[in-house]
Amino acid sequence: MRWLERKRALWRTRATARDAGSVLLSQRRVYILPTRAGLGFCALLLVLLVGAVNYNLGLGFGLTFVAGACALVDMVQTTRNLAGLVLSPGRAPAVFAGEDAPFELRVENPTRLARYAVWIDFEDVPEPRQAVDATAGGSATLVLRTPTRARGWMRAPRVRLSTRFPLGLFRAWSWWQPDSRALVYPFPEHDAPPLPMQGRPSPDGFGSAGSDDFGGVRSYQPGDPLRHLAWRQIARLDPELGGQLVTKHFEGGTVDELVLDFDALPVRLDAELRLARMARWVLEAEQRALPYAFHLGRIRYDAALGTAHQAACLRALALYGLADDPA
Amino acid sequence: MRTPRFTAPLARDKQDTLLLIASSLLVLAPHAAHLPPWVSLLCGATLAWRAGVTLLGRRMPPNIVLVPLAAAAMVGVLHSYHTLLGRDAGVAMLVLLVAFKMLEMHARRDLFVVVFLCYFLVLTNFFYSQTIPTALLMLASIVALLATQLSFQLTGVVPPLRTRLWMGAKLLGLALPLAGAAFFLFPRIEGPLWGMPDDAHAARTGLSDTMAPGQMSNLAQSEDVAFRVKFDGPVPPQPQLYWRGPVLGRYDGRTWSRVRPSRFVRPQPLALSVGGTPVGYEVTLEPSNTRWLFALEMPRALPDVPGHGVTLSGELEFQSLDPIAERVRYDLVSFVHYKLQPDASPVDGQWLTLPYGINPRARAEGQAIASEPDPARRVAAVLREFAQGGFVYTLQPPLLPGRDAVDDFLYGTRAGFCEHYAGAFVFLMRAAGVPARVVTGYQGGDLNPLDGYLTVRQSDAHAWAEVWLPHRGWVRVDPTAAVAPERVQRGLAQALPAPAPFGLEGLGRLLQPDPDSLLGRLRYAIGAVNNGWNQWVLNYTPQRQQNLMQRLQEGLSHWQSLALIGMLCAMLFLVRKFSQRRKTDPVDALYSVLCQRLGQLGLPRAPDEGPTAYARRIADADLPPGPGAAATEFLRRYSAYRYGSQAPGTGLVPILRDLLSRVR
Repeated sequence: MRWLERKRALWRTRATARDAGSVLLSQRRVYILPTRAGLGFCALLLVLLVGAVNYNLGLGFGLTFVAGACALVDMVQTTRNLAGLVLSPGRAPAVFAGEDAPFELRVENPTRLARYAVWIDFEDVPEPRQAVDATAGGSATLVLRTPTRARGWMRAPRVRLSTRFPLGLFRAWSWWQPDSRALVYPFPEHDAPPLPMQGRPSPDGFGSAGSDDFGGVRSYQPGDPLRHLAWRQIARLDPELGGQLVTKHFEGGTVDELVLDFDALPVRLDAELRLARMARWVLEAEQRALPYAFHLGRIRYDAALGTAHQAACLRALALYGLADDPA
Repeated sequence: MRTPRFTAPLARDKQDTLLLIASSLLVLAPHAAHLPPWVSLLCGATLAWRAGVTLLGRRMPPNIVLVPLAAAAMVGVLHSYHTLLGRDAGVAMLVLLVAFKMLEMHARRDLFVVVFLCYFLVLTNFFYSQTIPTALLMLASIVALLATQLSFQLTGVVPPLRTRLWMGAKLLGLALPLAGAAFFLFPRIEGPLWGMPDDAHAARTGLSDTMAPGQMSNLAQSEDVAFRVKFDGPVPPQPQLYWRGPVLGRYDGRTWSRVRPSRFVRPQPLALSVGGTPVGYEVTLEPSNTRWLFALEMPRALPDVPGHGVTLSGELEFQSLDPIAERVRYDLVSFVHYKLQPDASPVDGQWLTLPYGINPRARAEGQAIASEPDPARRVAAVLREFAQGGFVYTLQPPLLPGRDAVDDFLYGTRAGFCEHYAGAFVFLMRAAGVPARVVTGYQGGDLNPLDGYLTVRQSDAHAWAEVWLPHRGWVRVDPTAAVAPERVQRGLAQALPAPAPFGLEGLGRLLQPDPDSLLGRLRYAIGAVNNGWNQWVLNYTPQRQQNLMQRLQEGLSHWQSLALIGMLCAMLFLVRKFSQRRKTDPVDALYSVLCQRLGQLGLPRAPDEGPTAYARRIADADLPPGPGAAATEFLRRYSAYRYGSQAPGTGLVPILRDLLSRVR
């Protein structure tokens, strides 16, 4: 009775499971059909058989059956070349709309059978672009790219794994929906208007934050603008010999309030265009190392600078008006 | 990602192409034995060209070069074979096609085309040879072709050639049992499906319809197998093994030939009465391109030869309606005690005629014997003369070019082979007024003790006589036995002095080894293997398959065999189960038991819960302190073993087992 219960529980888990986390490609998930070469081989077998029958060649029958059996073994081996692999999604860094989103995928081979020539690509690609090999107990990591269009979360498209190894007479394939998503930032607007400087203009007429008086160098901290890296000092010390990245440290100057406010943009503009402009401004402010405050709807970030701040702002732009979870 | 793949495949493509060239060379090489030399040379040159193109990175020849070349080759084939359609011409064309296709490979599809053509070329080689070495070569070729095909599929990692060949061999090894089952079980169809080209069968040696001096002794030097016999029961003694073939009754002074059925004489009905125990046997006749079927004297019914109609002549000869160009098998039942046409006197004169004016001395002697009233005594008198007259049995008798060949033999040279004795005997008998005729066929055979097959070779060809005696019918008389009894008792090899090739006695003994010596036994073993090959591989016919199926069915319907199969299946299942069980780590096994037990206690592990989280939940739960602490400790140790950085100490399993026993 308990056995039955357990089986039922197992069945329920299996039936309702989605491709969360890593996935074992069981034999049931692998489909197989003969290729065109396989059909040609079938015709060859027929010709061999007819030849053997017509000329009463005992060895001809032998050859025919050996070749046919090789094709059957090939069918099993092609399936086994795919079955038993463990697939898991890897990192999927954020990209701007219009760029290709890279999805890292990991193929593990926990079995004792080496796998060769497993072609992997997204479902919508007509010809797979990448193949991986995985030795017994080994693994392979690859990055698949797919174009992005709209901002927001993008789920990895369905992945198709296929193989023709060893003889190419059959093609086995399997589907996998990786549980992986990439954040797509809005496309930064081309030729956007200049940054919206607020408050009084700085005395020198240039509102860079504290960029006037050189105050010395200090060691690099994550978030320091790249512009402020003290390249001359860095170049003197080879990082491998204990050198560190150093950042120029500026003092003085007035910090102008740079506020990127979504609501301040003209309402007549399309919302997406406004988001695109915001994205461009974030990038530009970051590039020019101007600390910027960021207002988007209820989100209000204080003025700051650095990759973390930039990522938070872009993320807010990407998800503006969208549910956080890709359905 | 793409750059390394762009530079690497160039070298790999070359490797693959070279491998393809090598495997096609393996397939093409055996064809060189029967192709005209220019075809082999052209093929070799083409393959070398292709290899050069690959190695030096040259361009493939354009079609403007290839097309005239191929056309010229076709003209060459036409010139060599005078046709483009026959079997041999077809094979030559196919060989050239494979070679030229190598120079015209552009897409991956072309690789498959070449590989498939190679498979077909392996088949065509069987037209010429189907020996065991050929079969081994076939397997080697298949391994090479499989390795080639497999190399084309590889992408990134390319194992070394040896590994790829090993993969091919493994694939073949897995396929062989399946192929074996298909070979024996796949329903066989009797060919041919259509008329074969005329050149399908080359001329072969064998017994002919006539007997002229020198013919039999020629045949006696051939070690070719004429047929093989498998007796159902014990093998009859050697002196009774007379394999009946053509019966010759017409003599023109030099050649004995068959009596043409006369339009004026009605053939007598065949009357055969038999006695004694029937001898059942199966004859596997090698292809001879003649129509003769051989049977132990005397068969009672017509054999059923698959694919051939069989006729019976008035002289009790079996003939198929068309020449036998392939190995055939037929079953027969014979009786060594028989009476053939005992009552009806043979057709007037037909078995008594002699050409006029030749061999006067023999004729006179025959007439002298005719004074004896009992024909049986006349026979005995002549045999006595043969036995005591200083006759010599030899393979190389002096030539008898004169007009009176029988006279010259009987009263001159007195040295001859079976054909001389049989011919002279029948001549004398006819002169003495006893109806007589020459019977040709085979006598004896070599019994292989390993597989029980009796091998009858061309060297066992023999001629003897039949005389008709009142109330006894046609009686076999072997005059050779009177001269050289050991020929009939023990076979030709023992009756003749061993030949001495190159004048070396020892070499002769090596070639004709004593059956009991190691060499002799080895020869028997090789013979048995060869015969098994012929019986089960080359001549596995629908009949044979039916027999096998029947025997299999009978064997399987026994409860013992069914029980054996059941036991085997159960054992396989258990071994599989056991090996699966063994694979799990004992620590993991204990862990799953613990989870099960805790589940029974109302705390099942959630599917997404690790041991540490589970332990935390258990510590919070209201389990009795003893089991709770034990379970927590178990889980702590388990997670340390599983995920900890330290190598697991020995003796973890007993500790865990002890902790587990406390969780109740």
